This record gives sequence, structure tokens and C-alpha cells, in this order.
Amino acid sequence: MTNATGDTSAFANAIETDYRNRSATNAMQSAAFVRYARLGLPNRRVEGWKWSDFNAALRGPAAANDAAAPETIPPSPFAALEPLEIQIVDGRVLSPDAAKLDGFEFGVIEPGGSDPDFDGHSLVALNIALTRRAFGYRVEKGANIERPILIRHINTKPGHVFSQVLGRGDEGSRSTIIETFEGRAVFHSAVHHLSVYRNAELSRYVLNDTDAGAVTHGFFGAMVGEGARFRQTSLSTGGRLCRHETHLLYPAAGGFSDVASAALVAGDRHSDFTTQVRFRAPGGEARQLHKGVASGKARNVFQGKFHVERAAQKTDAKMTANALLLSEGAEANHKPELEIYADDVECAHGSTVGALDDDALFYLRQRGLSASAARALLIEAFAGEVVDSIDNEGVRNVFATRVAAWLEDQQ
Amino acid sequence: MLKIDDLHVAVGDAEIIKGLTLEVPAGEVHAIMGPNGSGKSTLSYTVAGRDGYEATAGAVTLEGDNIIDLDPDERAAKGLFLSFQHPMEIPGVQTMNFIRTAMNAQRKARDEEEISAADFIKLVREKAKLVGLDDAKLKRPFNVGFSGGEKKRMEMLQLAMFEPRFAIMDETDSGLDIDALKMVGDVVNALRGPDRGFLVITHYQRLLEYIRPDRVHVLAGGRIVKSGGPSLAAELEKSGYEQFIEAA
Repeated sequence: MTNATGDTSAFANAIETDYRNRSATNAMQSAAFVRYARLGLPNRRVEGWKWSDFNAALRGPAAANDAAAPETIPPSPFAALEPLEIQIVDGRVLSPDAAKLDGFEFGVIEPGGSDPDFDGHSLVALNIALTRRAFGYRVEKGANIERPILIRHINTKPGHVFSQVLGRGDEGSRSTIIETFEGRAVFHSAVHHLSVYRNAELSRYVLNDTDAGAVTHGFFGAMVGEGARFRQTSLSTGGRLCRHETHLLYPAAGGFSDVASAALVAGDRHSDFTTQVRFRAPGGEARQLHKGVASGKARNVFQGKFHVERAAQKTDAKMTANALLLSEGAEANHKPELEIYADDVECAHGSTVGALDDDALFYLRQRGLSASAARALLIEAFAGEVVDSIDNEGVRNVFATRVAAWLEDQQ
Repeated sequence: MLKIDDLHVAVGDAEIIKGLTLEVPAGEVHAIMGPNGSGKSTLSYTVAGRDGYEATAGAVTLEGDNIIDLDPDERAAKGLFLSFQHPMEIPGVQTMNFIRTAMNAQRKARDEEEISAADFIKLVREKAKLVGLDDAKLKRPFNVGFSGGEKKRMEMLQLAMFEPRFAIMDETDSGLDIDALKMVGDVVNALRGPDRGFLVITHYQRLLEYIRPDRVHVLAGGRIVKSGGPSLAAELEKSGYEQFIEAA
């Protein structure tokens, strides 16, 4: 079979078949498919993808998928927070909770996601071409939504899945969005576009808890409006290849963001957190912290970029990435970047890679902790900086529990 | 109680301890004094079981049990405590949580009942007061941002909490003012008893004014070169270590 990309792999054929079988595709989707076909899957020869080669991961043999499909969807670890729960199962947005939430509008909508800034991103193009229905939400002007909104991406079977979430936090609103990536080996492309308008505050928490065979590409793009405050904390235990991208744009003055991520990867799992912040207006502030722990032959990638345009004077942006390697075979790849065209800014980045501190390990063991307990305590402390920074106590507890469970699995 | 017999220790390729013999009977406090580089810290790390401090010959027993092949935590559970010369800052580790976890790990290893949260809080507050650490310090990550003196107080807090059978105090006096020295003396003297032993490692006599030792040993060139009563410390203060360095 010859297809649009000239790629004869099982993955490319499946994608092509899926696209051709669509009963209706709009012009935007057709154009996106053409872009994808022209660009191909990102591979290691493409800057920004050299450590996370989707081409190799997707065209190679599919991962063994031993885990049985769950008969029923297990409760979310966030259930105790009594969130408004939205399930996107194998890419299908299930009818959301019938309950109404004052100040929060939501539903299943036509997909979109076209943004000229990301035209060169082939996985985004593929997502636009193949997503059938999107989940849309809107936090109304001035609304203060205390109940968290939980969006669960649950994948129950092998194959490829595309999903889209399109949201907005209107002026002066406050809300919390939790997004979880769960499930079996599959290629999942998830795009989430968000606009945080003037003086709005929005916190987003991301938990990637997929199987070892999962290939996940999470693309999150947000506009941080004038005086708006956006916070995001992510925790990933990786997968065969899991990449979470965060793209923030500051088109107006005085935006603020605090983006933290922790990756705990074992075996031959791979996690990639890639962030880009583009400052277009003055007085923007950004904080970024990444903590990556890798054991076995696992790999942790962090790429962070601050792009400060000429108009974005008085930008204040700091980025820190720390990696902890627990074995000889583990790898960390960091690429912090600053691209600055304004002259009156404060921008900094720092990056460290190291092993557990022998002095600290001995100290803890001298006090009675076993070797494994001492290691676990230090790893927990390392990742703890990200987890402890979560304001929402319920969310913080879920993240801390997940970290503790991961550490237990390593014993 | 603690018996060290013809101990040889190599760190990397260098032999640092070269046939050291020492016995601290239960109920006694012994001091080891010596110049820089004489092997004092190597001795304390070796007895505590630090990786990289390998005993190439000789024996170390605590209450008759050979401890030289035990892991550091197993030695701790047997009641061996080391007060560190340079206590660690451990970011992200909550002080109270760590001390309680460590106490319970030791208790579990000894088949003792774990300390309850309420009893622990009561005990830690009482001991913190004794060593002069305020509650706010206990809520911070372990030793983070503490002064040198505060870190030594944290060591003494743990000594008072753990009530070990045998404590090695590795230059606990370094960086301490007179009030803090007195506090160290108070903590140690309160714990002194017929079932407990101490080995106090120091450069100077001044700590020994607060903790009166039963015996004083001079360590030079990896061996005990002289032993005597408490007056030996005062003698060393006057004459210095030069004679021993030359002899070693």
C-alpha cells in the first residue's frame, strides 16, 4: 500500500486507513493531514526531538500488551477530591457528568486546534487531522470554581488515539483542572489548548500514569493573558515514550506562570518534558522547575526555552532542572535555552545531574535506616520539591502517594 | 563494651589506621585526642561502618558481638551512635519525620514497639528544649540553613532521643561557643551510666572540661601512642602533639 507519507510501516498504514475512512473531514483537517504527510513523524534528526524519537517508537514493533483491559474503569486517585469528572475513553469523550457546575460551561464540541505557531509540528497536525470530537470547557467571567475539573484520558486497547481539549478561563475567574493519562499500551496524541484571560487564575495538574508500553504525546498550549496567573504541576512515570509539551504565550503585560514537573522513570521507560515560553509583552514572570529521577536503563529528557521578544522588557524568568541518576545505565538529557531580544530582563537557568549523595546516605543509615529506606527517603525528598509546591492539599496528597508507590515498586 | 583489637583500615590505597587497639568498658567515657590527619575521623567512620573505610585486619566488637561485617543501620540498631563532625544538610527531608522514621527503624530491628506519634512529639519537644533548638527548627528540612552550632545541637538532640548504648562523638566541640559546649556536656553527662559508653574525639581539651573522661588516648599515625588519665589532656594542651607526630 502506498500512502500519503510514503511510509509503509504498520503505524503509517493504520493512520492512513483511519484518515481515509473518515466520513467527513473539513478543510482544516485535510490541510493538517497534508502537513503531517509532508513533515513525517518527528525523529532524532529533528532538533528538539533528538532524545525522543517518535518515528522510531511508532514505526518499530508494537510493545507487548500483557495487561488485560479493565472491565470497568477504576476510580481515579483524585476521586476523594469529588471533582467534576470527564472521561475520554480511547479518544471518545463520554457524556460528562450530568451535574451542573455554576460558572462552568462544558460539553462535547467540534475539534479545532489550528494555530499557525504550531504548523510545523507534525504530531499536532496529525492530531488536528484525526481527532473526531473535542471536550470543551469555559470558566465564566469572575467565576470561582472550587470543585476541581478532572479530565481522564483512559486508553483501554492497543492502537492509536487522538483527543483534544479546548478550554478558556475568562477574565477574573479561578479554577483547577486535573488531567490524567491512564491506561494500556497505545499511541495517544492529546492536544489541549487553553486561554487564561485577564487576571484569571488557573491551576493545571497533570498525572501521567500510563503502562510501560505507552507512547504518549501530550501537547498543551496556553495563552497567559494580562495579569493572569497560570500554575502547572506534572508528575510522570513515563512509558515507552512519553512526552509532555507545554507552550505558553504571553501576549499581554504582567502574566505569571509557575510550571513544575517531576519524572520518575524506571526500567526502560522514557519521559520527556519540553516547555517553551514566549514573552511578547512587558513584565511577564515565569518560574520553571523540573526534577527527574531515572533508574535501570530509563531516560529523562527536559528541554526548556524562554523566548523573550524585544517588547517584553522587565521579563523575569527562571528555570531549574535537576536530574538524579540511580544507575549506571540511566540517562538524563537537559537542554535549557534562553533566547532574549529585550535588554532589560532577568532570565536565568540552571541544570544539574548527579547521583544520590553518599554522605547523606551514610548519615541516614547511621541513624538506623536500611539502605533501601535511606535511598527512598532521599529520592522522595528530591522529587518532593515539586510535590510540596502544590497549593491544593488534596492534589498534593495524591501526587505524594503516587511518588511513594513508585518508590515502593523500586524496592 | 567497645573493643577494638589491632585494627588496620585502608581508605583507597592508603592505610590510615595501622594496628589500633582500644577498649572502652561500659560506664566509661574515653577521649581520643590527636593531631590533624592522625586517623580520628577514619576511626569513627570505620566503627560506624561507612563504605570505603575497609578494615583490612583486626576486630571491632560491641558488647562482645563482632560488628565489623554489619551494615551501618545494623550497627545503629545495636545501639551505636555517631555524632558527625560535619552533620549533613538534607533538603526535602522533614526533620521530625526523619528522626521518628529512624527511631522506629531501630526499634523494629530490635523487636521493640514503635514509638507513637504523640509520644514522639512529646519526647522531641522535651529534648529540643534541652539542646536549645526551638520548635520552628524542627519543622524545617533537616539541618537546611542551620548554623554550624545548630547542626551540632541537632546531633545532640538525636543523641538524647536515641539514648544509644555507645556513642562516638567526632569533634562535636568544633565550632561551638561556651554555652553550646556546656549543653553538650549536660546531654552527655545526663546519659552517662553503667550500661553506656562514650568515645569523645577532639583536638582540644576544652570539651573535656565539661565531659570529664575516664581515660585519654593519643592517636597519632594511625595508632594509640599514649594513654593516661584525665590529666593527659591538660598535658597535651601544654606540650602539643609534635612529639607524637615525630614518634609516629
